Amino acid sequence: MIEAQQLTRRFGDFTAVAGISFSVPEGEILGMLGPNGAGKTTTIRMLTGFLPPSSGRVTLGGRDLFGDSVAVRRQIGYLPENVALYPELRVEEYLGWRGRLEGLDRATMRRRLPLVLDRCLLGDVRRQVIGTLSKGYRQRVGLAAAILHDPKVLVLDEPTVGLDPKQIIAIRELIRELGREHTLLLSTHILPEVELLCQKVMIVDRGRIVAEGSPAELRERWQGAFGVAVELAAPVTGVAEALAELPGVESAAAADGEGRRFRLSCARGADPRGDVFRLAAARGWPLVELAATRASLEDVFVRLTTRDEDAPAPAGEVAR
Amino acid sequence: MNGVLAVLQRELKAYFYAPLAYVVLTFFLLVQGYYFSVIVAYLSDPRYPAGKPLELFFGQTIFTWLVLIFAGTFLTMRLISEELRSGTIETLMTAPVSETQVVLGKYLAALAFYVFLWVPTLAFVVIVRYFTPVDWGPIAASYLGIFGIGALFLAVGLFASATSKNQIVAAIASFFFVLVLFSIGLLESLANGETAKAVFGYLNLWQHMDDFAKGIVDTRRLVYYASAAAFFLFLTTRALQAKKWR
Repeated sequence: MIEAQQLTRRFGDFTAVAGISFSVPEGEILGMLGPNGAGKTTTIRMLTGFLPPSSGRVTLGGRDLFGDSVAVRRQIGYLPENVALYPELRVEEYLGWRGRLEGLDRATMRRRLPLVLDRCLLGDVRRQVIGTLSKGYRQRVGLAAAILHDPKVLVLDEPTVGLDPKQIIAIRELIRELGREHTLLLSTHILPEVELLCQKVMIVDRGRIVAEGSPAELRERWQGAFGVAVELAAPVTGVAEALAELPGVESAAAADGEGRRFRLSCARGADPRGDVFRLAAARGWPLVELAATRASLEDVFVRLTTRDEDAPAPAGEVAR
Repeated sequence: MNGVLAVLQRELKAYFYAPLAYVVLTFFLLVQGYYFSVIVAYLSDPRYPAGKPLELFFGQTIFTWLVLIFAGTFLTMRLISEELRSGTIETLMTAPVSETQVVLGKYLAALAFYVFLWVPTLAFVVIVRYFTPVDWGPIAASYLGIFGIGALFLAVGLFASATSKNQIVAAIASFFFVLVLFSIGLLESLANGETAKAVFGYLNLWQHMDDFAKGIVDTRRLVYYASAAAFFLFLTTRALQAKKWR
């Protein structure tokens, strides 16, 4: 549905986006992750027709975005990063305006307006002046406006910023629902959001795609060694050394200062948890926890987007 | 067309929902009423030559011009610069409307408000009519002139508004452009050559308004306002498009 080919955007000498290509099949949610300044918003602006690319092209449903601009833009619903609304209008008036801008007729508006107000939890503020709304409400007004004309493609730039936890859950549920009917591109900082919502993830850094795949694929590919966390009820000496002797264990290190917690780094494919248990039982260690540590998407993200010089050891990774 | 109407409607709402419209309207009427009373007082004084109050109201004095120049600037300075500042331009430019439609919608809104501004001055005509017969031709011509020159100034102001995120900068730019357009015709009296005199004469807005007030309608002048306004609207569209590339 969305097809981006070699998108590049330069601002003077600065290259914000350097040859990004991807495609989102119909009915899928693609998550775009990246640190600040990675080029996410620039990429999104090129996908919505706000910024023309310096080179490369975007097609939506096979039609070129810049060749057939006005017609193609009708298929896009866009929630910009900073949701800018007209503060003097009431919520309903604003949505009515957006409807007219999209060319919706009265009958369609009468049908769609209550629907989006309801879906975006705006029923109780429909008559309120936008300037008096909180950030969370404005965010939802922006989202309501983006889905008002029932577009084929939805582009959401940080949709849950500024919402309280309850609203975040509601909006995520809404996004998941929307993902069933629309093709969706979601840009976010929030990693659990991506794991929760997206079939595919693309991690962007310095204007390039540094990794892409399903959240599970990414975790698998980038997780590095399988790790095991061991916790004892009371400190015991010589545990690290004994654990390191086990087959499949590459290294074992204390994870705290008192000698109760240890982390094992294992060879690929090895799972020494059974051996750890038998060893503990044989030596009478008071074993209280034995767990596999899998890299979260967060680790993958940190590892991929951290410059070498300031790399902290990512959480969950075991010293090798 | 729908896009133009949507933008037009929103802008009209913005005028009337914000205090600026009422401030402009109040000052406009205060100033116009004051000018009118000054003119009437002047003409009622037996020491001064007799004249037609409405002819003086629309032509021959600087009064009309002060109002025209400022009204054009105040009505347009917000139109695009505010969208650039607040970021609503992103919504507008990603909606299925073209830059031309946006510019036209905004321009028509400004023009409508401008007309609305002048409507109450018809009261002056009624007042004069109450005391003395009036010649309707010159009055119609005067309003035509006011409309034409206003249409030009508003287009200039809209262009200035597209050049900056800052309303004040836009207002200053607009004021400057309008002043240039206004004063270029005044060079007619300073020009030496025949051609130069003819060119500046063609652009002499002061002279145009004087003639309109007397009831002289020269279509070349209307063509000048319309084409110059169209040119500035075109520049505005271009300025909006250019924003994307920077």
